[in-house]
Amino acid sequence: MEKQEHQTLPYFGIPKILKYAKPYRWKILIMVILGVLSSLIDSIYPLFNQHILNHNLAEHTADTLPMIGIGYFLVLAFQVWDNYYSAYMCSRMELWMNRDLRNAAFNHLQTLTFDYFNRNSVGYIHARVMSDSGRIGELFSWHLMDFVWSGSYVVCVMVVMLLTNLRLALLVLMLVPVATVIVTIFRRRLIAQNRRVRELNSTISGDFNEGISGIRAIKTLAVEERMNEDFRKDTEDMAHASIKAGRTSTLIGTTVSFLSTVALALVLWQGGKLTVEELMQLGTLSVFMSFAIGIMEPLQNCINCLTAMTTIQVNIERFSRLMETESCVTDTDEVIEKYGDTFHPKRENWEELEGEVNFEDVTFQYPDGDEPVLEHFHLHVPKGAAVAIVGETGAGKSTLVNLVCRFYEPSSGRLLIDGRDARERSQLWLHSHIGYVLQTPHLFSGTVRDNLRYGKPEATDEEIWKALKLVAADRVVQKMDKGLDSDVGEGGSMLSTGERQLLSFARAILADPRILVLDEATSSVDTVTEKAIQTAIKTVTEGRTSFMIAHRLSTIVDADTIIAVRDGKIVESGNHRELMEKKGYYWELFTRQFADVSVDMAMRNE
Amino acid sequence: MDKQNTSPRGKGRVKTLLRLVEGSKRFFIGGILLAWLTSVLDLINPKIISFTVDAVIGNETASLSRWMQRILEKAGGREVLRGHLGLIALCVLGVALLAGIGRYAFRVLNVKGQEAMLRHTRNLLYEHIMALPLTWHNRNHTGDIIQRCTSDVDVIRAFLSEQLTTLIRMVVSILLSLGFMLTISPKLTGIVAIFVPLMIGFSYVFHKKIEASFEKVDAMEGKLSAIAQENLTGVRVVRAFGREAYERERFETSNEEYTGLWKHLMRLLSLFWATSDALAGLQMLAILVLGALLCLREEMTAGGYIAFLSYCGMIAGPVRMLGRVISGMSRAGVSIDRIRYILEADREVNTRADKKPQMTGDICFDHVSFAYDGSEEKVIDDITFTAPAGKVTGILGSTGSGKSTLMYLLCRLYDLEEGNGKITVGGVDLADMDRAWVREHVGIVLQEPYLFSKTLGENIAITDKDSSTQSIQDVARIAALEETIEKFSKGYDTFVGERGVTLSGGQKQRAAIAQTLLRDTPITILDDSLSAVDAQTDAKIRKELDVMHQSTRILISHRITTLMHADRIIVLDKGKVVETGTHESLYAHNGLYRKICDMQSPEGAMTHIPA
Repeated sequence: MEKQEHQTLPYFGIPKILKYAKPYRWKILIMVILGVLSSLIDSIYPLFNQHILNHNLAEHTADTLPMIGIGYFLVLAFQVWDNYYSAYMCSRMELWMNRDLRNAAFNHLQTLTFDYFNRNSVGYIHARVMSDSGRIGELFSWHLMDFVWSGSYVVCVMVVMLLTNLRLALLVLMLVPVATVIVTIFRRRLIAQNRRVRELNSTISGDFNEGISGIRAIKTLAVEERMNEDFRKDTEDMAHASIKAGRTSTLIGTTVSFLSTVALALVLWQGGKLTVEELMQLGTLSVFMSFAIGIMEPLQNCINCLTAMTTIQVNIERFSRLMETESCVTDTDEVIEKYGDTFHPKRENWEELEGEVNFEDVTFQYPDGDEPVLEHFHLHVPKGAAVAIVGETGAGKSTLVNLVCRFYEPSSGRLLIDGRDARERSQLWLHSHIGYVLQTPHLFSGTVRDNLRYGKPEATDEEIWKALKLVAADRVVQKMDKGLDSDVGEGGSMLSTGERQLLSFARAILADPRILVLDEATSSVDTVTEKAIQTAIKTVTEGRTSFMIAHRLSTIVDADTIIAVRDGKIVESGNHRELMEKKGYYWELFTRQFADVSVDMAMRNE
Repeated sequence: MDKQNTSPRGKGRVKTLLRLVEGSKRFFIGGILLAWLTSVLDLINPKIISFTVDAVIGNETASLSRWMQRILEKAGGREVLRGHLGLIALCVLGVALLAGIGRYAFRVLNVKGQEAMLRHTRNLLYEHIMALPLTWHNRNHTGDIIQRCTSDVDVIRAFLSEQLTTLIRMVVSILLSLGFMLTISPKLTGIVAIFVPLMIGFSYVFHKKIEASFEKVDAMEGKLSAIAQENLTGVRVVRAFGREAYERERFETSNEEYTGLWKHLMRLLSLFWATSDALAGLQMLAILVLGALLCLREEMTAGGYIAFLSYCGMIAGPVRMLGRVISGMSRAGVSIDRIRYILEADREVNTRADKKPQMTGDICFDHVSFAYDGSEEKVIDDITFTAPAGKVTGILGSTGSGKSTLMYLLCRLYDLEEGNGKITVGGVDLADMDRAWVREHVGIVLQEPYLFSKTLGENIAITDKDSSTQSIQDVARIAALEETIEKFSKGYDTFVGERGVTLSGGQKQRAAIAQTLLRDTPITILDDSLSAVDAQTDAKIRKELDVMHQSTRILISHRITTLMHADRIIVLDKGKVVETGTHESLYAHNGLYRKICDMQSPEGAMTHIPA
């Protein structure tokens, strides 16, 4: 998980988000105007009472009552419309912002390279897409609206007060900076506390995730009690941290409302004196007092909005950190100009890919690695050749294919594809011509057909069956209840690992790639099936360049070039015969693997 | 799958809610009591002020109640107070301070209640999820369950700590106000009494109506969330196929649909808010005009009129709010149902007796058949064999031949249905044993090992926190993990990341083997657990196992070299046992085993015998 440096963005981080609000600036403006109107109307209503009291009741006449009724009705009708429309606008604002932010985050993620996904957990990234966006959307709709509503009311009241009695007004307004200082101090504490709460919150989500996705392991290890215990500890920490944060925010709220009462008391004391000395009218005093009370709630609303902003600031920080994460592999502008970007490919400019791969003095070090995995490496793979990569567990066999697929780029040296530097063409162009079958196959929820068509959406059922037969996966699909329409479950959970490997193999074949990468593609498949696939691979790789990573050496003896990797370094390369004659590392691996069987058979043959 | 996901509705909601607030009720109740106290305190300051304005600054002592006049006399009369207005101001501050303390205490209690409730609910859910059978887990999406455990719990929190407390406070303040109004003018109160139920009734009908929309929105949110989740877990596939644009379109389409559903719902909600605003406004209008007429007919005083209007204003807010609160409640109802779906799912139970026998005897599979929940197809079809005690039994079988399922049955992750055979250990039927007992004594290394986001050492010692460093190192050595660990700069304290992402497949498998070895169970199963390690390491691990462990071992593998030294080898095909014997007998038998054996031999590898 990415360690987050706690840098704080200026202005609550809002400048970072403004560009997402920009398309809606006019709508936001209308929303704000409607909000101001609504709070103005709220201050009109008392005028009706005043008129009835001063005119109708004082002069004992009902003459203007019908007019009052009609006027009141009209104002009410306008305000109801205003409220409806502003609430509707506000909710749309929220939804649109949410949608745009989610799309932006999701789309940005599609351009990032694997090291980002290796560094950050799925849960963490998922929260950036799904929840940060929502919180930020709220800021630009409901919080903004609340702020406008309350803010305009507070400002109106202040203006009226200043106009009515300057001295008394200043006395009241003196308290505003006091309130601001106190709130600022508490706020700083609150931000830190809220951060802790959020961290714990994601820990708890992570716990749920682990408990649910790891249920098989938990049950078979019989560690339910331990897991429960750990979880209870996390929820306890969470409760403590949240109560702490709750105390602070409550303290802010109560302090502010107490300060408002201080204002009221000041008015009563000083204003009362003025009135007693007949320097001020009783009516003015009562207006002032009602203002001192009335200003309390909106002021607090404003403060609440500020508090909300500080919490949302954290979301903005995390969201913008994601958006600012740059991919380690990017296409240059010229390349994008010609070949299009990830989402807008210009397929008409794409060349065919022949499949010749050339490592030219390549040195490579993983971004988080300590030392280079490859140093001054040269390898020429002609079009249509089969390259096998063998070596012990964890020796770094995937590195080469990661470079061929341009999931990473060489630290120095060049990787040529069809004689041209891989960087001269777009990533999508390359990926569209590569079929990659992973050791841990991933299927998407949906039907078998959806999954197989993933690399070639327009594939017909006939083509699908052909691909399935080729990798001996037709049997798997035939025995499923609904054939191609069968559901594979979340991540393919309805199928065994071997079956998933077969389907993902078929998926790659169906896409008809020029370069085929098989990363332990059949490690969980039974021998008979694997043998069948072996024969198929020969057909499939005919005319395609292929890279195979394998444990079972029996599967790769026919490869044109075999590369033996040890401790992250390439120690040998050549074909099976050459390497066997050399009696080096490969020979050692090969004979060891078959020693058991050979000895046994030798005994039997006697 | 989705059919079962529709939550049970209705009556049990209150019962569930009561279960969730167990232990936190007192905080909520205390909070509400304090809130009432605070509202009463809040009423005092306006009284002091009107008294000061009328009787101290102004001169309307006549209108004061007798009680108030006595206070005035006690305080030394009007003139003294006029000279010491500061004292009155201090009184106001004192009351405000008390109210402030009350308000602070009320909110803190509320937060405490909310957190206690959250903690209790989360613990309940987690504990229950741990105890739910695997069939339930297979049926439900991880993302969906997590959503229920996080966002739905949060909706319930908001309901309890924000909506319900507000509701109770408001109902009381509405009733109090109505009482005061009644003393002023029964006629006008009648009008109010018509509007209040109208507004509440309207809220109720509305909230019933939008319930379905909320469910739809929630379902859609789950779908959108699942798309993001899958994209992230399958990021390597997306990239390898260059399908970013497709993923983008898929996400954006669902996002649009989700936004559309919300928009529809928000439109309804806005309409509802506006309508309740209108109703409240109309009520005010009626009081304003009719009250004025009553005053003109001298059925009411001007003072009464003003007071009535201010009371009316006081309840307008709460009544309006009531609509919002109730509309929020429909959300909570849906969320409670969604949580009940988890809490009311049946836990794993011991169907029969709770026997706890020695687990060191022969393991017999006796005419065992099994089909997964909701599927016709038998994964295991009438399988009979014995894994002798203390010996190694190897299982070889084609992909999808039911090997793993067979082992899950042995761990009782699934239960055999009546009449589908039985599994016995030392002659005792597994179904008669205590489930936890079985799992504690059967150590299985899963085909796809799962590591927890802890350190490597903690993962190995997951079953026993207190294991000694020595014993952890021992099992790591047996699992051929030692060298790998030495390479990590932090050794056993290396954090393995979520699901062990920082480790390679082989490293994960070996860590899982070490994990199981540490348990030292009488039955040990390796379910294709050496597939991602090279043949040499495989051999090394098996050798160590033979020396160290005298348990009954079952090895599942595709590699002949892994299985050939087993005391007995079972060959499965399509859910049936096709061959049984030792390596020698099976090799001589010239059947499936022999065929596989030949294919895997160096000669076979080089000559490509077609399948």
